[in-house]
Amino acid sequence: MRALLKSAAAALTGLALAGAAAASDWTPPGPIKLMIAFAAGGGADTQARLIAEDLEAKLGWSFIPEQVTGKGGMNLAMAIKDMPNDGSVIGMVVTETLGYNMAAAEAGVTPADYTPIVTTAGFQMGVVAQSAKGWTSFADVVAAAKDGAELRFGTMSPKLTDLAYLLGKAQGVEFNIVQVRGGRAVMNGVNAGDMDLGFMAGIQTKGVAAGELVNLASALSVPLNQTPEAPTLADLGVDFNADGYFLFIGPAGMPEDARDALAAAIAEAVSTEGMKSNGVIAKAFGGPAVIMGDELSALVAGDYEAAGALLQAASE
Amino acid sequence: MGVLDYIWLGILAVFQGPEIFSVAGFGISVTLVMILSGFLMGILVGATPGLAGPMAMAISLPILISIFGFTPDALLPVMGFLIGVMKGATVGGAVPAILFNTPGTPDAYMTTLDGHPMAKAGQARKALKIAHVSSASGDTFSDVVLILCAPFLAVLVEAYLDLPEKTALLILSLAFIASVIGGSVGKGLISMGLGLFVAYVGTGEDFYPRLSLGTQTLAQGFPVATAILGVLILGEVFKALEDLWWDRRAARPPAELVQSGDQRLHWADIRRIAPYIGRSAVIGTAIGALPGIGSTLAATLGYASGARVHARTRPGERPFGQGAPEGIAATEAANSSVSGANLIPVLSLGIPGNAAAVFLILAAESIGGFNPGPSVFKFTADAVNPELVVAFGLFTAMMLANLLNWTIGGVFMRVAGVMIRIPKHILLPVVLLLTLTAIYVQEARMSAMWFAVGFGVLGYGMRRLGISPLPFVIAFILGGKLEDTARQAFAATGGDVWFLFTSPVAAVFIALAVAVVVLSLRRPLEAKA
Amino acid sequence: MSPRLPSARTNLYLSLGSIGFALVLGLVWAPLDSGTGLIETVRRQVTIGDALAPTLAAGMIGLGGVLVLAQRRAPDPGGLGPANLGFLLRFLAVIAVAFALMRWTGPVAVTLANVAVADDLTYRALRDTAPWKYLGFFAGGSFLIATLISAVEGRPTLRAVLIAAATTLALIAVYDLPFDDLLLPPNGDV
Repeated sequence: MRALLKSAAAALTGLALAGAAAASDWTPPGPIKLMIAFAAGGGADTQARLIAEDLEAKLGWSFIPEQVTGKGGMNLAMAIKDMPNDGSVIGMVVTETLGYNMAAAEAGVTPADYTPIVTTAGFQMGVVAQSAKGWTSFADVVAAAKDGAELRFGTMSPKLTDLAYLLGKAQGVEFNIVQVRGGRAVMNGVNAGDMDLGFMAGIQTKGVAAGELVNLASALSVPLNQTPEAPTLADLGVDFNADGYFLFIGPAGMPEDARDALAAAIAEAVSTEGMKSNGVIAKAFGGPAVIMGDELSALVAGDYEAAGALLQAASE
Repeated sequence: MGVLDYIWLGILAVFQGPEIFSVAGFGISVTLVMILSGFLMGILVGATPGLAGPMAMAISLPILISIFGFTPDALLPVMGFLIGVMKGATVGGAVPAILFNTPGTPDAYMTTLDGHPMAKAGQARKALKIAHVSSASGDTFSDVVLILCAPFLAVLVEAYLDLPEKTALLILSLAFIASVIGGSVGKGLISMGLGLFVAYVGTGEDFYPRLSLGTQTLAQGFPVATAILGVLILGEVFKALEDLWWDRRAARPPAELVQSGDQRLHWADIRRIAPYIGRSAVIGTAIGALPGIGSTLAATLGYASGARVHARTRPGERPFGQGAPEGIAATEAANSSVSGANLIPVLSLGIPGNAAAVFLILAAESIGGFNPGPSVFKFTADAVNPELVVAFGLFTAMMLANLLNWTIGGVFMRVAGVMIRIPKHILLPVVLLLTLTAIYVQEARMSAMWFAVGFGVLGYGMRRLGISPLPFVIAFILGGKLEDTARQAFAATGGDVWFLFTSPVAAVFIALAVAVVVLSLRRPLEAKA
Repeated sequence: MSPRLPSARTNLYLSLGSIGFALVLGLVWAPLDSGTGLIETVRRQVTIGDALAPTLAAGMIGLGGVLVLAQRRAPDPGGLGPANLGFLLRFLAVIAVAFALMRWTGPVAVTLANVAVADDLTYRALRDTAPWKYLGFFAGGSFLIATLISAVEGRPTLRAVLIAAATTLALIAVYDLPFDDLLLPPNGDV
């Protein structure tokens, strides 16, 4: 019965049926260690823990969640690299970890040292300011800066700092870029007036809806769901974007059946309405965004290759 | 959403939280039960010589987090429990001080001076009652001051302090803590510098984990629990075990004292001790509001000022130190009124002032969703600010704990006298294993237990050399924040090297920081806290 | 009480040690073992590098050492002598043995069981299965408590062993039985 339901659900959510069917034979060899690269209690951590809870309830697998935070996921990447690759250890990072961060860190690892399993959700990354500032479009920001205002631009990762720098450069202004830890710190900084604008990856949704914050631009290659009229970075003259996903990884060389079974199970949990993880993803991250298999491998490899160009552009 | 709405939401959050069971159709919220259990546990722990509130908080924290999980719903039950422990331990510390001449907590030492003579004179129960009334009064007064002050201070900070000023304020707090705690400024600075150093291992903005010597073990830095529990708790256990080892004997429980006479607390007694309670409550609250000065100093000052006034105004009566009820009142009101006020810098600035506050911050950080600091007190108009609701929930929890203290605290103090019968040389090894296990379940690696033992050795060495471990712990907690704020202030001012001196407020803070160090240098202080 | 060195001598050693550590940290360790220097220029913006904060911490420790040196004759409750260090070494040896028991009792037991019944189980697969998962913690924890109690009492006693075993079992009951997510030593390492 369970297998039947599972494949039915998989078909409904548009997953590769063949993969799910073949994978359903695989069971984890004991409890699965789930490493989480995000601070406890935040939206990303909640997502990871709820996925584990969903799978425990549904499949009877057992998960042991553990926080391995810091260095944009690189601490987790370095820790998981030499762990057993039989599917008993997985970790949740962002695609940026295996892309920009891994390229910039020069820590002696490449995406080839990992098995990308599945993505769960993307970011609604916007350039956000307090409504009280009176800005309604990014052009207002540029105008203010050109009038001589010293503007503080909050970011939460080196890649975003590069993007903020390139954005200013493309618009002919200079921001004082303030890099902090985590999206919540950017939001607190903007709310407290310590920063004038900043990148927020979905955490701004409530504030924008309440009219306290305003999305001035989309940092993605596509417009934001909430504010589709805001220009994208490409519209503003930046050739790069902050597209990214939450990503489950394992050590390199994970057997095909383990990778597929884990991917199918996670994808199903986040895509099925009524599941706890689906609820939080719909609320905080604009709905599930599942990529797996060869498509995912290509995405991860491409991000890593592209990172060099951004690093180069930002250092000019 | 006005202020009153938030207060009401905070109260509701405590009373209408997730239910644990229901009595006659009324759901009992789990937060209430947790406050009660924390309070009772606190009294027992406080009454046990060798244990103290922070130890109980440290050991129960991982268990509580596993029970309640990492959701915002967990904040009030877990922190309510910790607040209960904090308050219970303060009351409980007086029990063995009075009954057996052994302070249960260091700040109850002054209570032995008059409490035990009273017990020897057959007035033990009366002495306990005086301690209870004084302690509960001081505590309640302090909480009221906290609730009135913290939100305003936070709003002021947020309105007037920019990143450079916030950096300067952190520097001032650390300078203050290093200067006033412990035997000398030099030792305070060493302790603080080490705390900062440990906080900086493995962290930083670059992708290379600094000071990690290229090893994977150090790359993630030292987990907060290992450094704090190691220095504060294992260090104390090591030292106490060594003292026992040299003594080669178990502490024998002292004999029961024969009690006689009128044990009731009369209205006349309360009128007599009331001025002493009032004076000490003000002293304790004022001291508690400054980060880093502990309840031990408050107790000492409260006792000393009470003794001066007593000798001057009532020369004919029993003097302090020979069983004067006023002496107990002056001490207990002072050390209890520290605990509430100590949360003023925590909630309004995010700066912990003592070990109990350290564990409250640790709880908030491990659970997530509540970041003690000025951003908590943002009175949003439309959407609900959940952190503010938690803050008022905490205030509610504190007032509830006070209510428990007034109603059942006295009874439980008398029961807690049995705790002294647990021999220390059995208790300490048990605490050692408990602490190590608590660390392992949080970190799930043996290296974390080794780190903790290493920090235990550090804490042991500090105690032997007369260095207070508290500046270490507070600097460790604030180290990351200090560096982050400084970086941000530097970047936000466009790379101004003099960012700490260009605004008048920041410059004043820095001048005060230098002044507090220099002034303490000139006058070597007695060992405190 | 233990024999102690006079406190002025201890303070001298403390200050010299602090100054020495501060010099190593500030001049060698921090500059060589940090990703960025004191002040960096990236993206045409001047930023604070990773080496700055540890260097300032070293400055604090060094300054503290100098002040202790200047005030080393101040009255002080401190004192740390060779006897204390001797105790500490013995104490750490007990902890090391206890940790080794925690780490290896389980795997050794599984290996022995494999020999006995000619199976090829691994401890890793059994780390969430009773009674295997308790073996190491029970052995190491009981050893730690029993040894320390006996050391203070001056002789090994049955009472110490019973208290140790009871405490360890109680800890297992508190941490492991109610919670699936918590791991007792050494089950997160294997």
